[in-house]
Amino acid sequence: MRKNAWKENLSAYAFLSPWIIGFLLFTGGPIIVSFLLSFTKWNLLGDPRFIGWENYKYMFSGDSDFFNSLKVTILFTVINVSVSVIASLFLAVLLNFKVKYISIFQFFYFVPAVMPSVVMACVFKLMFNKELGVVNYLLSLIGVDHPPNWLSDSFWVWPTLAIASIFTYATGQMMLIFHSSLKEVPKELYEACDLDGANFMQRFFYVTLPSISPIILFNTVVATINSFNSSFTLIYPLTNGGPDNATEVLSLSIYKNAFKLFDMGYASALAVVLFIIVALVSALQFRLSRNWVHYD
Amino acid sequence: MAQLQSKSKEEVEYKTIRGNARFSYRVIKKNGKTFIQYTILIIVAIFMSFPIVWILSNSLKTLNGISQYPPQLIPSDPQFGNYIEILKNSNTLIYLRNTLILIVGNTVGTLISSSIVAYPLARMNFKGVNLIFSIILATMMVPTVTTIIPQFILFRHLGWLDSFLPMIVPSFFAYPYNVFLFRQFFKTIPKTLDEAAMIDGCSRWQIFTKVLVPIAKPVFITVGVLSAIYWWNELFTPLIFIDSENLKPLTIGALTSFKVHGATNLNAWNLQMAMAMIMAIPPMLLYLFASKFLIAGIKTSGLKD
Repeated sequence: MRKNAWKENLSAYAFLSPWIIGFLLFTGGPIIVSFLLSFTKWNLLGDPRFIGWENYKYMFSGDSDFFNSLKVTILFTVINVSVSVIASLFLAVLLNFKVKYISIFQFFYFVPAVMPSVVMACVFKLMFNKELGVVNYLLSLIGVDHPPNWLSDSFWVWPTLAIASIFTYATGQMMLIFHSSLKEVPKELYEACDLDGANFMQRFFYVTLPSISPIILFNTVVATINSFNSSFTLIYPLTNGGPDNATEVLSLSIYKNAFKLFDMGYASALAVVLFIIVALVSALQFRLSRNWVHYD
Repeated sequence: MAQLQSKSKEEVEYKTIRGNARFSYRVIKKNGKTFIQYTILIIVAIFMSFPIVWILSNSLKTLNGISQYPPQLIPSDPQFGNYIEILKNSNTLIYLRNTLILIVGNTVGTLISSSIVAYPLARMNFKGVNLIFSIILATMMVPTVTTIIPQFILFRHLGWLDSFLPMIVPSFFAYPYNVFLFRQFFKTIPKTLDEAAMIDGCSRWQIFTKVLVPIAKPVFITVGVLSAIYWWNELFTPLIFIDSENLKPLTIGALTSFKVHGATNLNAWNLQMAMAMIMAIPPMLLYLFASKFLIAGIKTSGLKD
C-alpha cells in the first residue's frame, strides 16, 4: 500500500512537471532574479554591478518619478476599477430584463470586451481628437464652445481613460459574472417587493444590491488585480504615459526604464515594488474568496 | 359559472366590461414597461457599439472626409479602396501571418501542457496537491511586467530575442489560467470512469488520453478560443521581444505603420481605421460562432467556482 502511494505521487508529479519547469523558469525564478537585480546597476552591457540599496534610495528620493507613478497608478486603479464595476453591473441589470432578443443585446454589450486594445485605442484617439473628434462635435451641439483637448490635457485625459475603461475585457467579464449572479437572487424577494409596491430603484437598492454584494466585493478585488496587468495594454497605445508623465503608471514606467533607457537595475526595483503591491492585494483576495468561493 | 348565471344579465355585462378594462390597463402598463426597457437597451447598445460603428464609418472615408465638419456617420462616397490599399500593403499580410503563428503555437502548446498539468490536480490524491494548487492560483495574479526583465535576460542568453520562441515556448510549460480552466472541467467528470479504466489495467497516462481527453472536448474548445482571442490582442510581449519589421504581429503593425507619406507625425486615419476594422472582425466572428464556449471560459476564470 505504501509503495502504491509512492507510485501515485511520482506519476502525479510527472504530470505536473511541465508546470514546475515553467514556474521555475518564467515566474518563480524571475521574481527572485528581479529582487537580486534591483540591487545592481546594469545597462545590459558587461556585468551587473552591485550597488546595494542605491536604486531604492533614488526611488524614494525626490529626484525620481516614482511618487508620480505611484500616485498615477492608484488614481488609474481607482478610476478603472470603479468605472468597470459600475458599468458591468449596469449592463448586467439591463441584460436581466425579461424581454425577447436579449442575446442580440448581449452581443453588443460584450463585443467591446474582446476587441484588441490597440483597435479601441486607435478609435478613441480619433473620437477624442480636439479638431477631428466626434466627441467635441457632439459637445458643440449642446453649446460647449471651448471643448477640451482630451488626450493632451493632464486633467481631461482621466475622463477619457474612464470612458475607455467601459470598453475593456474586465467590464465584459464582470458583466457576464453579474449577469449569472443576478439570476440567482431569490424570486420570493422580488415578489415581496411587488406586494409592497416597491418601484424599480427601490427593488434594486433594497433587494438586488444586498443579495449580490459578496459578488460585487469579489469582482472589485479581482478587477483591482487585473488592472495592474491591463493598465499597460490600455494606456500604452492610448497615451503612452502622456501628456508629460500624467498617465505613466508603474507598469509603463518599468517598461520605459528597462527597454527604452536600459536601466535594468532601477526597473527591477520598480518591478519589485509593483510585485509587493499586487501580493498585498492578492492576499486580501485570498482571504475574501475563502469565505465565499468553494474550489470544489 | 353557476354563480354568474344566477346574477342578472346587466350585472354580468358590467363586470365583464370592468374586467376587460382592468385587463387592458394591465396590458398597456406591461407594454409600456417593455417599451421603456427596449428603449434603454437600444440606447445602451448604440453607446457600446459606437466605437466600432465609428471605425467602420471612418474606414470608408478619405483623409479629408475624416476632417470634414460636421462629421458624417454614413460616408457619402464610401472608399472601399482603403481596404484594398491595406491588403495590398505587403506588411499587412506579414503581420497577419505572424499573429497566426503566435496563435497556433500558443494554442497548441497550452492545450497540451495545461491539460496534462490539470489532470493530477483534478483527479489524483497526492502529497502537496493543495500547496501546488495554491501556488498556481497565486501565479495567476502576478503581472507579466514584474517578471519580464529576467525573462528578457534569459531569452537573450539563449539567443532567442527577435524570434517567436520567447512567446511560444513558455506555452508548452502550462499557463496557470488555463490549468485552472481544465481542472474545473475535469472535476465535473465522474471518478468512477477512472476507476473502471484502472481495473481494466490502464495506466494514469492511458486514462488521461483515452478516457478523459475525448470527454473533455468542450473545455479544449473553450481554452482554444480564449487563447486565440488573447494572442490576437496581445501587445506587450511582442513589443519587448520583437524588433524586426517582418516578425511584428498585427497589434504592433496597427500602432506603428499608418503615417501619411512624408509626414511622420501625421496619422493616416482612414487607413488606420480600415486596419482596425479588419482586426475587429475575427473576435466578433469567434463570439458569434463560439459564444457558448467563450462565455463558459470567461465566467469560470472570473468566478473560480
